[in-house]
Amino acid sequence: MPDKAISYEELTPGYKFPPATYELSDSFVSKYLKAVDSAGDGFVPPLAITACAIAAMTKSTPLPPGTIAIHASQELEFFKLVPIGATIECHIGVAQKIARGKMSMLILEIEVFDKGKEKVQSGRATIALPT
Amino acid sequence: MLTEIQEGKALNPVVKYITQEKINLYAEASGDFNPIHVDESFAAKTPLGGTIAHGMLSLAYVSEMMTSAFGQSWMSGGKLRAKFKEPARPGDTLTINTKIDCIEQKDDVSYANCNFECRNQKGEIIVTGEAIVKVSSDKK
Repeated sequence: MPDKAISYEELTPGYKFPPATYELSDSFVSKYLKAVDSAGDGFVPPLAITACAIAAMTKSTPLPPGTIAIHASQELEFFKLVPIGATIECHIGVAQKIARGKMSMLILEIEVFDKGKEKVQSGRATIALPT
Repeated sequence: MLTEIQEGKALNPVVKYITQEKINLYAEASGDFNPIHVDESFAAKTPLGGTIAHGMLSLAYVSEMMTSAFGQSWMSGGKLRAKFKEPARPGDTLTINTKIDCIEQKDDVSYANCNFECRNQKGEIIVTGEAIVKVSSDKK
């Protein structure tokens, strides 16, 4: 887990969040499946992995109290099955920051690797934040 | 799993009822405790007027639909592009629908393209987008 919080102003294109490592334990997957009301099928749901990656980012960038961040869009690509119990490493960087009136659009690039350094998923998230 | 992969084939829709309890469970599982999702008194004072579900919760239902139809092909080779149009709220019933819009060949591999919509009980679009999955490979 990242242990140093950074401010929103520091999030400029090229910024890389500290990589975060997660163990996708049976209890984590069970909790996720209960939350999404799904039975599962023996592997880690791809969006559970994305949730870990996004959590890594939100935990290291706490928003000022009262700020509402809106998840505007999401792109994802899945490359391999991830077994329950696997360890993943999440890398997130700021690709773009676009000011639009009173809002900023923060475009984040996400890459997730397994223990063998093979890419398991990648994607882009667009988050709208007040400037 | 789909037994017949052809253009126009509808996938089984996914229907989910959103509750604050489910949103709280998702917050615990994902670690995203943004008050707009979990703090009802805070959310009531915002322009949104109340708590909303995480966008990734709605998207998880889309992925569930694709996993049900395509199994491991989706989980190990799917592509997803989604736009969150409106928030899903506690009390909403979300229905996700899609069909195979077209099957494209790229480098001897076939891909099914599915444009999906997630709507609430009022017919409002909550999430819309495209899911692409590899359905066969002719490579020898």
